[in-house]
Amino acid sequence: MADTAPAIDVDGISYSYGDTLAVRGVSLQVEPGEIFGLLGPNGAGKSTTVKMLTGQLQPSAGMIRVLGMDGSGDNAEIQARIGVCFEEKNLYSAMTAVENLKFFASLFGIRPFDPMPLLERVDLAARGDDKVGDYSKGMRQRLMMARALVNQPDVLFLDEPTDGLDPVSARTIQGMIREEAAGGAAVLLTTHDMWEADSLSDRVAFINQGEILALDAPETLKLQHGQRSVRIRARRGPNEVEELVIPLEGADAAGEVQRAIAELDLLTIHTEEATLEDVFVAYAGRGLDA
Amino acid sequence: MNLGRAWRISAREFRLGPRSPIFVYAILLPIVMSLLISAVFGDLLDPNPRLAISDQGYTELTDAAEGMEGIAVTRVDKPGDLREAVEAHDFDAGLVLAPDFGRALSSGGDPELEFYVSGSSLASDRVLLAAAATDLVAGAAGESAPVAISVVPVGDEDFVPIGDRLLPIVIFYAVVIAALFLPASSILDEREKHTLDAVLVTPTRMSEVLVGKGLLGVIMGVLLGVVSLALNQALANRPLEVMLFLLVGSIMMAEIGLILGSLVKDANSLYTAIKGAGVFIALPVVFIIWPTLPQWIPKLTPTYYFLQPVYDIAISGMSLTDFWVELAVACALCVAFGLLVSAVGRRAEIRLAWAA
Repeated sequence: MADTAPAIDVDGISYSYGDTLAVRGVSLQVEPGEIFGLLGPNGAGKSTTVKMLTGQLQPSAGMIRVLGMDGSGDNAEIQARIGVCFEEKNLYSAMTAVENLKFFASLFGIRPFDPMPLLERVDLAARGDDKVGDYSKGMRQRLMMARALVNQPDVLFLDEPTDGLDPVSARTIQGMIREEAAGGAAVLLTTHDMWEADSLSDRVAFINQGEILALDAPETLKLQHGQRSVRIRARRGPNEVEELVIPLEGADAAGEVQRAIAELDLLTIHTEEATLEDVFVAYAGRGLDA
Repeated sequence: MNLGRAWRISAREFRLGPRSPIFVYAILLPIVMSLLISAVFGDLLDPNPRLAISDQGYTELTDAAEGMEGIAVTRVDKPGDLREAVEAHDFDAGLVLAPDFGRALSSGGDPELEFYVSGSSLASDRVLLAAAATDLVAGAAGESAPVAISVVPVGDEDFVPIGDRLLPIVIFYAVVIAALFLPASSILDEREKHTLDAVLVTPTRMSEVLVGKGLLGVIMGVLLGVVSLALNQALANRPLEVMLFLLVGSIMMAEIGLILGSLVKDANSLYTAIKGAGVFIALPVVFIIWPTLPQWIPKLTPTYYFLQPVYDIAISGMSLTDFWVELAVACALCVAFGLLVSAVGRRAEIRLAWAA
């Protein structure tokens, strides 16, 4: 397989839970070194899609190739080269962080394994011998991230990796995601946090009711489907503030902005652009938290 | 199937065992029960088997017996008195040495030796005293005993001491709690906490998880079964044959544990299922304790096919040749439960992916 092949190549996969079709005809590709955001509200089909990619579920239709290997049937070879960070903090709480990492390394057949470099990356080296049951939520999530990296994976699947975390832990994890991608790993990020997806992802796909609605770079989607504008707040009298929104799509947008700056007693001036949330609403007719 | 990975699953369980209340409970319960039964009904507080000897002229053997450690030897003048004393369970066993015993032994003859055993004595004491008597004669005459020892049970032949009679309960707890409950609770715990999801996205297969957890149950079941029998001094008679049935029983129980752990919804359901099934799987214990009950009934339960052989070999002096049919049925049950484990495991894996 050539180096240019997609790390993840999915074509028309579907899955049903009984009579309920959860994923229908999803197709996407993720290149090595790319961070790909899969965005959608709860129940949209994100987790089911990822479970098919990680070998937990077998698609009822369609084709999956991960790292050039067929994803149908026994996926042990694929699973040896992927890392998965679950939304659920499913660590062994009676074990220490060191024991957790060593155990998972042993399942990958990695021996000898030194957990300290990974624990240092997630700022847990000093607490490595403490039981995970005594960890805070942020510490557990950082350890989850470390666990996903024990086998130095070529593909990373991250499910809501910063959900509910304090800003410091969130920044640590986002930094690691960027480092892994910079090192050549393909990262598939599922989230309903549009800001995180926007700031991390090279490309995003919107998924709703099991179908992909749009797939492109965040900037492109925002430009295609959002409205850029300049929002100006100016003083009109001693106790009165005027707010002015000038769409940048207009023919004389630049002139209008210049005139406002020259003529008004400006308080603030901001450029505004559509958020991914706006774009999602435009596609799905509903918000991400709906 | 990667057995190395299955063993690593087991090894994790063993390493974490001392931190798990269920694990500690499974180990302590049969041991505490054994000690209690030995203390109350057995010979824990009266450790030396009592041997009476009526020596009619061959004092060297009696002297040697008195020099043996672990046996309380008492000389009785008349053979008739000895027999009466053994019948009354004043002694666990009695040995009658005829007046010409020593002469016959030294001239290479074939002297006869009468060995009385009290029906009320513990099986372990009987085995110990019979072995000691054989050793004594062998020591006096050469490497092998040139005498025919006729063992004559006296007193109530059907009497089984209460300490021996309660042994099936200890074996049941040792094997069932360890072999069934440990794998069941372990796999359920991993399902509930979703740690199994994390394991199953590594190259680890569900079959390896099941084998690993089953191995935990089998090793603990056999180990605790052996320890419990040893504590009750019931492992002297054909220990390898007893261990064979403990092994088969532990495999069977571990498989049932894996099925329950894979199927039940939560810990409450597991306890309910074990309580419900407990009546069924504990049935042979009741019928061993009360042997006058109809003995075809316990044959309807899978546990009969290892509990009864273990008991009869350890206590009643029977052997593997008496239990070929039971062994074959137990092995067939293991195969059937194994197939069921495989099917239930596949179903559990899908349900796990659906639920998370």
